Amino acid sequence: MGVGYTDFMKNSGVSTLALALQAIHAACDDAGISFKQLDGVATHRVGDSVQGAVVLNALGMVDPKFYVDQFGGGSASHTVVGQAAMAVATGVADYVVCWRAINARSEYRMGGTGRPPPDVVEFQYQTPYGYATPPQQFASMASAYMAKYGATREDFGRVAIRQRDNASRNERAMMRTPITMDDYLSSRWIVEPLCLFDCCLETDAAIAVVVTSAERARDLKHTPVLVSGAAWGGGHTLYSNHREDLTTSAAAAMSKRLYAMAGAGPEDIDVGCIYDAFTPLVLVQLEDYGFCAKGEAGAFVAEGTFPFNPHGGHLSAGYVHGINHIAEAVEQLRGNAGARQVAGAEVALSTGQSGYVAGSSSALILRKGEQS
Amino acid sequence: MSDVERLIPYPDRDSVLWWAALARHEFVQQRCDDCGTWRWPPRAMCSGCGSFTWTWQPAAGRGTVISCIRTHHAFLPGFEAPYFTVFVSIDEQADIVMPGTWHHADPPQVGLRVQVFFDDIDVREGAPVTLVGWQPADD
Repeated sequence: MGVGYTDFMKNSGVSTLALALQAIHAACDDAGISFKQLDGVATHRVGDSVQGAVVLNALGMVDPKFYVDQFGGGSASHTVVGQAAMAVATGVADYVVCWRAINARSEYRMGGTGRPPPDVVEFQYQTPYGYATPPQQFASMASAYMAKYGATREDFGRVAIRQRDNASRNERAMMRTPITMDDYLSSRWIVEPLCLFDCCLETDAAIAVVVTSAERARDLKHTPVLVSGAAWGGGHTLYSNHREDLTTSAAAAMSKRLYAMAGAGPEDIDVGCIYDAFTPLVLVQLEDYGFCAKGEAGAFVAEGTFPFNPHGGHLSAGYVHGINHIAEAVEQLRGNAGARQVAGAEVALSTGQSGYVAGSSSALILRKGEQS
Repeated sequence: MSDVERLIPYPDRDSVLWWAALARHEFVQQRCDDCGTWRWPPRAMCSGCGSFTWTWQPAAGRGTVISCIRTHHAFLPGFEAPYFTVFVSIDEQADIVMPGTWHHADPPQVGLRVQVFFDDIDVREGAPVTLVGWQPADD
């Protein structure tokens, strides 16, 4: 795999096409290939970014062997990389580039009202109620989780504080000044029970990841990182019926087949890049990916034994809708994460949004490979 | 309500009769003619048995709050923050969860028994619009 970043910004001043091309170019450099070797593309968006076909044209790719342009947000972030891995494993394509490019602060804010809502029929049951934005959607699961398990604001706060501390060691992170529990508890409400520090940043950025076969990867520039397991699916939304319990995510069902595919379990995971648009999502996923029992994630985080989101995540490093978690997992497994390196990291779990909005989730288990 | 016009529902071909019933202050839901499963939002097929035949059937309009939030940040036009939104699991079938506005002086809480409140909203032109609202149950 090769990974490429743009800077994390509040106002990029350029188009999402420009961001995508910069990140793709950087990812090819990182992999040690020319962009002309790319023969497949995979991206996802929610009406907020340039079409895959336009990027493909801008890359001069006239005969793409693999093309995915999926409707979806953070839930789909790991799906596109999983699909790219399927494409190279089956010989459909040799080098597939996956990316997400967003001006999520300066152009298209999530749930922003200055544009038509995305093409989602359920919005008719949300927007008239004044209920349409991600902090509201995730506050609804936070409320149910607190009521069912007695989780506290301090449980959420410890996630925010830990990730800010991690971000202080990440030169790319947008927010690097440590925060205290007092800072957390005194920050303003956004949507009760979520306050400012429960919410991720809004970021202009792109990240690209090049996926190729394990055999080719051995001859590239860096220690290869192998896709050991990939899974997606697993859940419902408020609007699909069959979902009266908001305290369990799509990951609860999906994680079982993910671990089976990878031949691993939670005890094998050295580092977790856990989707963190909002703090309670981290807690629910630590449970649903099997690191602790239901309702115990608050205490598990307080123990501090499991390293998660060493980059600071969406909460403190920057919000690139999930792909930054994959990029961080790659850097950790290569062993070049600098001051934030988790010692001896050989197996990583990286997860997408765990299913409260789209109803589905996606995740990868990645392993450190060997160069030839 | 503020002077800024809020967003109103935009029914689709599956939901137009549901919204029309709500505007008449009727709390009706789709129910499968073949297996009796209720469903919401409105859609053409029963996900339980695959049947395409259903009846719009009155539901009691009662349920239990499973989640409640209070929006402080003014994300959307026409709403004066802070305001509550509640999520109610309806008595006919627990896995139907219906968001709604809140209509009582006391704040909502998880576990509270509630009944429907027909929330007629101001619209400047066009047909009257009613949303699902919730209030504490009277029993």
